Amino acid sequence: MNVLDVLDRNLVKVPLMHTDKRGVISELVETVAKSKGYSTQQFEQILEAVLDRESLGSTGIGNGIAIPHAKTDVVNHVTMVVGISRFPVDFDSPDNQKSRIFFLVLAPQKEASAHVELLASIARSCTSQVFRRMLEQSRDSEEVVRLFME
Amino acid sequence: MGVPFKQIVVYLDGSESSMTAIMYGIKLAKEHDATLTAVYVVNTRALSELVKAGIFVAIERDEYQRDLQQDADRYLRHASRLATQKEVAIETIKLEGTVHVVMKELLKSQKADLLILGGITDIRSRREELASETDRMMRTSPCPVLVVRDDDDIWLEFEA
Repeated sequence: MNVLDVLDRNLVKVPLMHTDKRGVISELVETVAKSKGYSTQQFEQILEAVLDRESLGSTGIGNGIAIPHAKTDVVNHVTMVVGISRFPVDFDSPDNQKSRIFFLVLAPQKEASAHVELLASIARSCTSQVFRRMLEQSRDSEEVVRLFME
Repeated sequence: MGVPFKQIVVYLDGSESSMTAIMYGIKLAKEHDATLTAVYVVNTRALSELVKAGIFVAIERDEYQRDLQQDADRYLRHASRLATQKEVAIETIKLEGTVHVVMKELLKSQKADLLILGGITDIRSRREELASETDRMMRTSPCPVLVVRDDDDIWLEFEA
């Protein structure tokens, strides 16, 4: 399981409209909820799971990247939403750098292996500073997908 | 050189294509009267990488490690059920570590003469190249490797 296995143009949001941590998480969850046709209750279940995980420690990992994630059986399979913000968002990252690149990863309980592999794949994909800069500067979802495919 | 194959090892990772691989392995083991081993590797390296990268907190790592162990047990049990269904003896092994490294060691210690893998995905980007554990296993295996295409025909034939 890697980024390209789950990258879906409909689950890429450029630009994100919110400029605070809670708002960005909510916008990412809303993107998947709209795309998959989830109910308000399902949206709230996902949001709660992601915020619960966030309460254990921030998923801002530094270098302008945050990877909020959670286990939730609302999704049938491992799902990823990519969001790019025009404005740096304070995500409590260890390097104190604000984030502009966001990956929301959701996985059902039964897909622990795929969940772990995907998170590792995202971390690997974003090791290049050049790649991160190109992602930050991408204008739309098409461009984000193309960058990952290169 | 072991032809026909006598020590067949199938690598499982929980993917549909690895389930196809075990079905193929069972059929091949039956035809060749070979010893069949199914292996699942709990990827503790990936977990460590996630903690190092700050994506996982320690408590989360422990929780996921338990989840991965359960995944391993579930898929190995499934492999055993499939083999029993076809009256083929199977040994199941659960390992931990860096997948391609521990697999290489296992293949040597088992004196395997064939490794069966599920689908190798097409290389879709330069960054992805060589990142897949399955690809690495194929490249570092000390014995011949058979890559099973994720083919519906194999499932149909197995279930027939």
